[in-house]
Amino acid sequence: MTHRASIMFLTLVALFLIAPFVVVTGVSFGASNTIAFPPKAISLRWYQTLITEPDWLKAIGLSLLIAAIAATISVSIALAANYALWRTGSGLSKLVFALGIGPFLLPPIILALGASLFWAEVGWYGRMEATIVSHGVFFVTLPLVIIARGFASLTKEVIEAARMLGATETQVFRTVVLPLIAPYLITGFALVAIISVNEYLIANMIAGFVVETLPIKIFNNVRYGYSPVVASASMLFVAITVTALLVLARLTDLIGLLGASKED
Amino acid sequence: MTARPAYGAFCIGLFAFSALAVFFVVPLFFMVVVSFYKPDPMGFYKVTFVWENYQKFFASFYYKVSLRSLYSSALGAVLVVALAFPTAIAVSNLSRKWQLFWVILLLSLMCLSEVIIGFAWLIILSESAGIPRLLEFLGLWTNPRSLSPSFWAMMIGLVFLGFSVVTLMIYPQAAKRDRSIEEAAVTLGTPPSRVFTKVLVPSFRPTLISVTLTMFVYLLGVFVMPTMLGRPKDWTMTVIISDKALGDANLPLGAALAVVMLVVTAITLAVALLAERHGQR
Repeated sequence: MTHRASIMFLTLVALFLIAPFVVVTGVSFGASNTIAFPPKAISLRWYQTLITEPDWLKAIGLSLLIAAIAATISVSIALAANYALWRTGSGLSKLVFALGIGPFLLPPIILALGASLFWAEVGWYGRMEATIVSHGVFFVTLPLVIIARGFASLTKEVIEAARMLGATETQVFRTVVLPLIAPYLITGFALVAIISVNEYLIANMIAGFVVETLPIKIFNNVRYGYSPVVASASMLFVAITVTALLVLARLTDLIGLLGASKED
Repeated sequence: MTARPAYGAFCIGLFAFSALAVFFVVPLFFMVVVSFYKPDPMGFYKVTFVWENYQKFFASFYYKVSLRSLYSSALGAVLVVALAFPTAIAVSNLSRKWQLFWVILLLSLMCLSEVIIGFAWLIILSESAGIPRLLEFLGLWTNPRSLSPSFWAMMIGLVFLGFSVVTLMIYPQAAKRDRSIEEAAVTLGTPPSRVFTKVLVPSFRPTLISVTLTMFVYLLGVFVMPTMLGRPKDWTMTVIISDKALGDANLPLGAALAVVMLVVTAITLAVALLAERHGQR
């Protein structure tokens, strides 16, 4: 591809990727009761509905709560697995790593059905705690891989120096390791939280009829006749997701985290 | 790393192991067990051992649904990779600032809910607010109708969904690739399109094969696009499984269908792994 052709191609791809959201934005600011684009008159009424109607507020709150706790669980497991691998390098810790990649590779419907059968047997079927734990465990892959990059970036000399000066393992972890891997922990946490907020199928199969998260509410609305409030809810989502990633890009080197830096 | 025994680290590893074992591996095992139980219209299931759920799978209907799922996922995976590979290469040639823009755009799309993407396409394909209306406005379509639900609406949804994932999977390797052969080819006067097909595609072949297979598995599991954008006859195995489990409350049959899907997934991923290993040699 010549340079100009490749820029044209990228522009077209970007249009394909962004166009749907331009239309949804237009719909969400429309004043009429029906879905229409371009909107005939601009109004904020659908956003007002979104933040004043208790039903929508509850869904937003539930989604954020589930995401925050699930991300904490996910990062704890990923940190534990990585710490064990780094300290011991044992077969068990390698097995944990291999297990942690699994959920990422399997179709979510399999995870969702397995989880719903499991929770039904345990007696937590239809409970928010079940959704939280399943989200936390199933989304462990990204933090696992990202935190592994953090541990890989630790140089031996720093750790050795701390040990020589008489630091205990706990002190080494708290004062040397933790500050150095903190950006990786934050990135892992943010990604799991974003994915959890957006996830539909697993949340729906475990407790969808009781614990109505934002994606479940939007899906139900679209399926059984919808109003432009769905468009404003969707745009709220897009805003949350993009803002979180922009903040993340400020805090860390995203390109490097993907492993795309030449220096790696 | 140290002479001191690491009991603490062992216990911490054990915590991670138990979490994954109890909440990821046990449910999968249990699902396999339930697939041999007998469906019970009054409750969830009867604890016995029967093959009837698997026999039902091979009785025409589910069999056809799975073949159709395999077809649409395979087609979708090929389209996604055909679009994502040139994009990843083109992005890797941009300045670092624009690369970051694309990474953020793609990461946002990757994280964004299937529900939102499906809804956005539902609107853009609808007669009141999208492409049909634009065509009417331009005088190209006198009596516009909604373009969804249809097979191709579902396909667009699947491609859109997979595109960001695949581009992000190929991009790191594209960014780090050795450009000397390309540059040599260009210096010798090879047209850019031939550089792409004769230099880039062959050197990425193992990656492209394994990414296509991974995407195939990913698309097999998509639930929202077929239900929102496809017709009932386009519904995939995922939709049927969820329907059996939630709608009909026939959990053993749903479990059996999921086990079949798990087997297909495992085989595909094993082939993908082999393809990648083979390429590295």
